[in-house]
Amino acid sequence: MAFDFEPSVMIDSIPTLLVGAKMTIIITVGGLFFGFLLGAIAGLMKLSRNMFVRRIAGVYVETIRGTPMLVQAMFLYFGLPMAIGIRIPAVVAGIVIIAVNSGAYIAEIVRGAVQSINVGQMEAGRTIGLTRGQTMRYIIWPQAFKRMIPPLGNQFIISLKDTSLLMIIGVGELLRTGDEIVAVNFRAFEVYLTVGIMYLCMTMSIAKALGMLEKRLHLKSQR
Amino acid sequence: MIQIKNLHKSFGDFEVLKGVDLHVKQGEVVVILGPSGSGKSTVLRCINKLEEPTSGTIIVDGYDIMDHRTDINHVRTEATMVFQQFNLFPHMSVLENVTLGPIKVRGMSRNEANKLGLDLLGKVGLEEKAHNYPEQLSGGQKQRVAIARSLALRPKVILFDEPTSALDPELVGEVLEVMKRLAREGMTMVVVTHEMGFAKDVADRVIFIDEGRIQEEAEPETFFSNPRHPRLRDFLSKVVEH
Ligand SMILES: Nc1ncnc2c1ncn2[C@@H]1O[C@H](COP(=O)(O)OP(=O)(O)O)[C@@H](O)[C@H]1O
Ligand SMILES: [Mg+2]
Repeated sequence: MAFDFEPSVMIDSIPTLLVGAKMTIIITVGGLFFGFLLGAIAGLMKLSRNMFVRRIAGVYVETIRGTPMLVQAMFLYFGLPMAIGIRIPAVVAGIVIIAVNSGAYIAEIVRGAVQSINVGQMEAGRTIGLTRGQTMRYIIWPQAFKRMIPPLGNQFIISLKDTSLLMIIGVGELLRTGDEIVAVNFRAFEVYLTVGIMYLCMTMSIAKALGMLEKRLHLKSQR
Repeated sequence: MIQIKNLHKSFGDFEVLKGVDLHVKQGEVVVILGPSGSGKSTVLRCINKLEEPTSGTIIVDGYDIMDHRTDINHVRTEATMVFQQFNLFPHMSVLENVTLGPIKVRGMSRNEANKLGLDLLGKVGLEEKAHNYPEQLSGGQKQRVAIARSLALRPKVILFDEPTSALDPELVGEVLEVMKRLAREGMTMVVVTHEMGFAKDVADRVIFIDEGRIQEEAEPETFFSNPRHPRLRDFLSKVVEH
């Protein structure tokens, strides 16, 4: 059975796939927005002087990092409704999963970046009378944030690709949309190739955007 | 201005300060000498509670810093510190480094703070560097900015922890010059340094710390011409003069 490559199939699938790509973007952006908040809070909690607070953040990070995202998604979408009787919409479940998941990794990024700032900076802040919180906000965080950008970019790309796993709970994101097209036209080669190219475009845009942000911060502070 | 009584400080089992008593009067310049590791920095850092004293009493500008009700952030603005490593804020311009304290701690308006900041930068000879960033400055310039940053709080006393030790020899003079001027203007200063010339010219009192205790305390004249403690004689013979 000879294989004919049909470029027109690729072109024809684009409009439908773009709808899926849009969903992928919505889930990625929403998930990462909350994931960053969650990660920043958990990361700072890990630096708390209070052991109990550190422990809570530790349990969160370890639990999420120690279980597959697919299992988390299945549990949230199929498992939890059994117990509480309400099923949240798949899109919301998707955003929650991406947020909770990226948050665990971002927590480690935040903790590492803050710890990498010389203790002299905290001491200098304190000696001019700033509180611990003020020193954190005006002195430590801005410097730490700059150091977070490369690993954050990496995490953003991972999270974007992770959204493809959400097809399992029926989120109409890019990969699932491709799947549905293939179910009808059986052109797996062309369709999945197009899907792959679309993911690549999106991940490259993230890399590009963060590169630009890094450059701007660099120029702004001359370092 | 500062009264320290029977100050003890341990790091774990290691007792660094074994009962230090020190009084600093308003307008006085006290220089602390001593071998490396003898606890000089620890004394300074206990005064503004960057280190928690193990026991003893420390009164700064009337505030008992061992009392938990004391607002330590306020005490720190009255007894501010200049570090060996400068510790300027690298993401802020020179002027922002100086104005951060007045704006966030003293509640000054930005305009007022900028005026004060430029004034103080002028005083340390760096007005034209106001809009540069710390990494564009030499070590001596950085330390002068750090001094201006401390002055911006209008402190009652400034604690200097080896302010010239991280500097190339040719840059030491410009920083000492600024410090001398402050001393002449009546600023209360506690200075840990190895600059014997500064101690002789500027200090009202020189203190020698060794093995966690003050071993000798005298006016510079007596201190250098007639050292009694054998460890001090040994120490002075090893220090190169500038
Ligand atoms: N945070 C700390 N933890 C443990 N030991 C410390 C700490 N800070 C200082 N020390 C020890 O205390 C001693 C005195 O230190 P320091 O006050 O910095 O000496 P100096 O300033 O006279 O050189 C040194 O032996 C040093 O290793
Ligand atoms: Mg020291």
